[in-house]
Amino acid sequence: MLGGWLNQIVQGVLLGGLYATFAMGLSLSVGIMRFVNIAHGDLIVLVSFLILTLTTTLGLSPLAAVLVTLPITFFGGYLLQRLLLQRVLGKGVLPIILVTFGLSIIVQNGLLGTYGADTRKVAGGSFETATLMLGGGVNVGVLPLTIFLSAIAMVVVLDFVLYRTRLGARIRAVSDDVAAADLIGLPSARIYATAMGIVGVTIAISAGFMSIWTNFDPTSGPSRLLVAFEAVVLGGLGSLWGTLAGGIIIGIAQVVGAQVDAAWQLLAGHLVFLAIFMLRPEGLFPKY
Amino acid sequence: MKASTGAFAIWCGRLALFAGAAVLVAAPWLFRVTDIALLTEFLSLLTIAVMWNLVAGYADIVSVGQHAFVGIGAYAFFGFAVIARIDPFLAIPLAALVALLFAIPVMAIIFRLRAAYLAVGSWVVAETLMLAAGKLSAFGGGSGISMPVSVVRIFGAHPAERYATIYWIAFAVAALSLVSTWLLMRSRIGLGLTAIRDDEQGAGVVGVNLSGLRILCFLWAAPFLGLAGAVITLQKLRVAPPASFSIIDWTVYVIFIVVIGGIGSFEGPIIGTVIFFLIRSYLSEIGVWHFIILGVLSIAVVLVEPRGLWGLVRRFLPEDVIPITRRPPLPGRPTEQASRPAESIAHE
Amino acid sequence: MNGTPLLSVESLSVFYGHFRALDAVELSVGAGEIVSIIGANGAGKSSLMKAIVGQADRIEGRICLEGADLADRSTAEIAKAGVALVPEGRRLFSSLTVEENLRIGQEVGREGDIGFDDIYRMFPVLRERRRQLARQLSGGQQQMVAVGRALLANPKLLLCDEISLGLAPVVIGDLYEMLPKIRERGIGILVVEQDISRSLAVADRFYCLLEGRVNLSGRPAETSREIVARHYFGG
Ligand SMILES: Nc1ncnc2c1ncn2[C@@H]1O[C@H](COP(=O)(O)OP(=O)(O)OP(=O)(O)O)[C@@H](O)[C@H]1O
Ligand SMILES: [Mg+2]
Repeated sequence: MLGGWLNQIVQGVLLGGLYATFAMGLSLSVGIMRFVNIAHGDLIVLVSFLILTLTTTLGLSPLAAVLVTLPITFFGGYLLQRLLLQRVLGKGVLPIILVTFGLSIIVQNGLLGTYGADTRKVAGGSFETATLMLGGGVNVGVLPLTIFLSAIAMVVVLDFVLYRTRLGARIRAVSDDVAAADLIGLPSARIYATAMGIVGVTIAISAGFMSIWTNFDPTSGPSRLLVAFEAVVLGGLGSLWGTLAGGIIIGIAQVVGAQVDAAWQLLAGHLVFLAIFMLRPEGLFPKY
Repeated sequence: MKASTGAFAIWCGRLALFAGAAVLVAAPWLFRVTDIALLTEFLSLLTIAVMWNLVAGYADIVSVGQHAFVGIGAYAFFGFAVIARIDPFLAIPLAALVALLFAIPVMAIIFRLRAAYLAVGSWVVAETLMLAAGKLSAFGGGSGISMPVSVVRIFGAHPAERYATIYWIAFAVAALSLVSTWLLMRSRIGLGLTAIRDDEQGAGVVGVNLSGLRILCFLWAAPFLGLAGAVITLQKLRVAPPASFSIIDWTVYVIFIVVIGGIGSFEGPIIGTVIFFLIRSYLSEIGVWHFIILGVLSIAVVLVEPRGLWGLVRRFLPEDVIPITRRPPLPGRPTEQASRPAESIAHE
Repeated sequence: MNGTPLLSVESLSVFYGHFRALDAVELSVGAGEIVSIIGANGAGKSSLMKAIVGQADRIEGRICLEGADLADRSTAEIAKAGVALVPEGRRLFSSLTVEENLRIGQEVGREGDIGFDDIYRMFPVLRERRRQLARQLSGGQQQMVAVGRALLANPKLLLCDEISLGLAPVVIGDLYEMLPKIRERGIGILVVEQDISRSLAVADRFYCLLEGRVNLSGRPAETSREIVARHYFGG
């Protein structure tokens, strides 16, 4: 019995790793540009469909497909920021929400029109089903474990980029005080666009993981957005390690909820989020 | 444009408004049942749009979770009328009351989030409420439940009669929400709201009670959304979590309506709802494309004229068609000299 | 002054919407010269600074650096061309360390011989605090970082907008003692101040702004304080 619970918690932690990868890009855009991209989940789904197409039509392996999409999503994020989001940044909350909201609906329906409403999944081969038996009733799938370790690696790499590189210092400077950056000659628009390019890279990675591990369809975006948002808020705005912790909490809540009753999985995640949020609205590891 | 042409255009606008209202009053005698059903839907959507405009356009609470209150109204109405077997006509105002009661804790949660995060936060709350509604076995759980015929009959023995009754209820709800919100906007409170819409920080400085007004608007909207939920339930004759709490129908469409019509004006939601029904009736056969068109249109509006179609028209008009602030008409563009404020000169 | 001045501003007007904050201002700064702009609140001093670095909404007139028109150049290009601003209110990046703030100044600027050592020699306390976050410094130390950040850009023209704002007199004195040393490097300095006596004491020349117009200019030594005060207050 105890082993069963322990196993559930481990599964929750691993699921949290996937959620953390969804949330990483959102955490960056929230921390740096101070806006929540409502289309974040839909962009993850969009890239998942791209990976699906690359694997099915070109016969690429999922890993190769993700590698191919990385530059595409980097420039996609860059251009999205430069051509669209930058125009409404700094004009208050409403325009940026409306624009990303419109984008979300466009992406969802564009995908529906192109791929239809069917549920899809990318085949990951034997890798997908391999399991490690850890004793004590705890089984760990190789794929979830890889995703979890990648989530940790993402935090480490992003932290390094943000706090140890020239680019990172510039990104933090612009996020501190964009008007001051403009005054002293930092090209803030380009820096924001680069940051959004990095967000695009995280989106490609999370899309790669999601498309192998879970089913998705063109309307899966909002649920990914909500989970990512919850992880970001629980972790504390702007803290990447906090985002990972937030993802893990939602993951555990969902798996344990599903254990009580399969239909409770999503509701349990939301309820745990709301409860912790009411107790600690600033999140667990607030940075600002 | 000359002042007289402007005034003429204003009166044309008001005439069109009255003509529209007259058609709506006469509708049950003028139209067929299917058109009445469509008009009922129009009035419900108009009610929801007016409320979202009040909350997001004036009080600056950019919520994407307002569909929660429609759903709560729907479930509460069903609960009172079908499960508790209260007189269904009494169940309608009770549904509004329940929506209002739910608005208080919802507000306590989402108002803790900074403005930029409130949008998705309100969505999380709405999603939670929808999933919770799916756990109510008396309401058919996740798949929902139909209204029993005995209750449906109370609204009319024949479908035609029933559609007319439901139409009048929708008409009353829409009229109540428009007129009372218009009166709210014309009061001193409305002045404060206009100040928030125009410049939130400035409004705080001149002593407008920001948080009080935001609370008022949020609580104001909830019962009307609940009423709309009751009407929608009557029309669909069933409750189900994804339909009663439909984010597409009660939030996505509504945001498009208000943004395209003109956010932060009283005319905007009305124009937007009319345009939306035109687009939907002519473009619905192109499926997903009508969503894409609406999405592109709303992004274009935000980039080009954030005050929407009405904002575009309003540039050429001397005043609002539906007057909310009793101000003299705006003067023309101030000259450079005149706009230069008198500098107060410091003395030692 | 012979030849083209380092900075020349010709009939410059700056607009915020329809409001004219500066009206046909003419001024120049030579290399190795300290020029002071004085004027009351709202006179348009900061608007002038913003216009020079290319951050004004809309301008009319010309701003030339060494004879080259700066119109159509981005702030980043103007910084690379050798103009550095110490903004009003310091405007440090508060969650960056002292060193990171300084490095950003160096990166946006041009190549030159002013390095970190020069700044740390000028403001030794910054060396000790280089790993601290900017927001943890005192107001005076923050102003040193702001000046250091601008100097590391190796400017030809240094713009200082009210560097004395909110600082203790001793600290202000220290900062103002730096200015002649910076001038010795051949850098032209444009100093904006409300504190008349402090800025006139270091300036070679000055301009007085009133409601967006230059109503007096000259050399501090040749102009009586009464005349300056009268023009400052618009008497
Ligand atoms: N962003 C802006 N939008 C509109 N008007 C502005 C803006 N910035 C400044 N102004 C106006 O332009 C005029 C000049 O402002 P500026 O900041 O240049 O004055 P200043 O001389 O620097 O004043 P202070 O000594 O207070 O810093 C003022 O009347 C001010 O109200
Ligand atoms: Mg100033």
